[in-house]
Amino acid sequence: MQRIYKTSQRMVAGIAMGLAVASTSVYANGPIGEHVHQLQQHIPHYSEEVDMLIRQVDEVIATYADKGKQGVQSDVLIDYWEAVDFHAAIETSYVPVYALIWQGLFGVKDAIEKGKALQQVRQQQRLFETSLWQALGAVKLAAQYQQQGKLAQAGKENSPGTASQTITEINHRLDRVVAKAAEKLPQQAIDIVHSTYLNLFEGLEGQLIEQDASLVEGLEKDFNVTLPVALKEQADITIIRQIVTQMQTKLNQAQGLLNKAEKSTRDVF
Amino acid sequence: MHRRSFIQGIAAASFLTATPWARAFQSDQRMALSVEQLPSLTGELTLYLGRGEGGLYEKVLDAIRDRNPDLDLRVRRGATAALANTLVAEARAGVRRADLFWAVDSGAIGLVTANGLAKSLPPELTSQLKAGFQYPQWAPVTGRIRTLPYNPQRIAASAIPDSIMALADSQLSIGWAPAYASFQSFVTAMRLLNGEQQTADWLSAMKARSTSYAGELGVVMAVERGEVDLGLANHYYSLRLKAGKPQANIELAFTKNDAGCLVNASGIVCLSENSTAVNFIRYLLTQEVQSYLASEAYEIPLVNGVSMPAGLPGLSSMSPPKLDLTQLADLRPTLDMMRDVGVL
Repeated sequence: MQRIYKTSQRMVAGIAMGLAVASTSVYANGPIGEHVHQLQQHIPHYSEEVDMLIRQVDEVIATYADKGKQGVQSDVLIDYWEAVDFHAAIETSYVPVYALIWQGLFGVKDAIEKGKALQQVRQQQRLFETSLWQALGAVKLAAQYQQQGKLAQAGKENSPGTASQTITEINHRLDRVVAKAAEKLPQQAIDIVHSTYLNLFEGLEGQLIEQDASLVEGLEKDFNVTLPVALKEQADITIIRQIVTQMQTKLNQAQGLLNKAEKSTRDVF
Repeated sequence: MHRRSFIQGIAAASFLTATPWARAFQSDQRMALSVEQLPSLTGELTLYLGRGEGGLYEKVLDAIRDRNPDLDLRVRRGATAALANTLVAEARAGVRRADLFWAVDSGAIGLVTANGLAKSLPPELTSQLKAGFQYPQWAPVTGRIRTLPYNPQRIAASAIPDSIMALADSQLSIGWAPAYASFQSFVTAMRLLNGEQQTADWLSAMKARSTSYAGELGVVMAVERGEVDLGLANHYYSLRLKAGKPQANIELAFTKNDAGCLVNASGIVCLSENSTAVNFIRYLLTQEVQSYLASEAYEIPLVNGVSMPAGLPGLSSMSPPKLDLTQLADLRPTLDMMRDVGVL
């Protein structure tokens, strides 16, 4: 129960961050489209797209069951996913689930290309479908927030000011790293890691080193060695996610230390 | 242009004689003012703020807001270089959104001043700054000095040359961070002071004995762990490491009168004819703000009468090179050289 609560809390926080950085970020699949500014009125359209995607993937798998891998063009799976508006809607709303969709899609594609047993392909299909439904839920939640004016407007980006805001932004960008790794775009993922380190984490290090030098040392290694190397070697997405989760745990610890330190800082005037 | 400056000078002078806080400037001593001597800030002001020391600049802004309830201060934050480019692009498009630009790096200020966007500051404001840091079109806020952090368990202070050029001929193992912006500004300073050939030769010779790190905190920590004898880094990382870990194996050495002890600065530019913007700059140069940034961010105060951060000798005992810091904007040839030599 506690775990579910934490997951949904994380989703809410992630959604609140999502659209704030949407239109100025680099996306792999071109412009995100105006529809992300009116999520609520596009929910029926997104729902139809989710149904259509599930049907299209199922048809590919049915062909695979019938004719084997020679009878299937597995690249169409990527084309189907990249063609829908729902793609941008979830990418800008909640990146962790977006990464799961890519993971599931590549799971189906790889299983087909490797000629795996139908049962294993179906297993990947179930993961893909689950992540799609989860994504639709996340977009509906984001739409509600957008209606209530609780989301920052896409394109109105302002860099984080406080240390706490900076860490929230770093965590969000690390989620994007997982998403890009799941999309099998390792160089884009590495670029995000480097820019996050240089433009965000590096500005916190000075304050953080006074609080816990070994924590900084660990994160330095994570940002500059562990994560980029894993991405470069195209390690399995579960390993990438594990590294990122560990980094986010350390960053949350850093956030606590910095918040505490900030309270003990003397007044300016 | 001259006439305009002259008129601004007259206006500033009239304002000075009419206000009690201005009389403080009229004494021979150019000491930092107290915030108590400054006028209240009113009206709207838009500040473009390059990312700095985590939340400490934010605390300064919050304190200024709290003290000036009639001030509507709007802040746009971003990477310093990106904001400088935005200001230039906005100006070319005939748009002016910012009244002030507070940059962590004087190179970015150079870009803005070179494009004619900066307004002249009143001489009585710039004269509060220490000698060598008085510029007519921008005000340095705080400084940072290039240092040689070393591990006293591995080498004695006497083994460290006091010339940055001589470091290349030493037998010391060195840590550096070529991708780090402050390092690139330091190499730019060397280019300007020593010329292209000497700088390229120095980089080549240093490359053979240096280990690269992503950032300068990484350099300092590598020195402390004993991975290398000595590093090239801004001063504040070592001071902060010492503050958090007093037993850390790290000391600071300084070169003399060369790029190795360059004092670079964060600074602020006034972009509009707005007396509130000029007075906002005065707040950043007060005893209180300068002292806060020195004690909390370990930055070097650049006005007279404010103590240096703990652990750093006085600026008067250092011998930074004489260099117009806005020239550090000339980064492109530096990056080309570093790539040619193979350190980037």
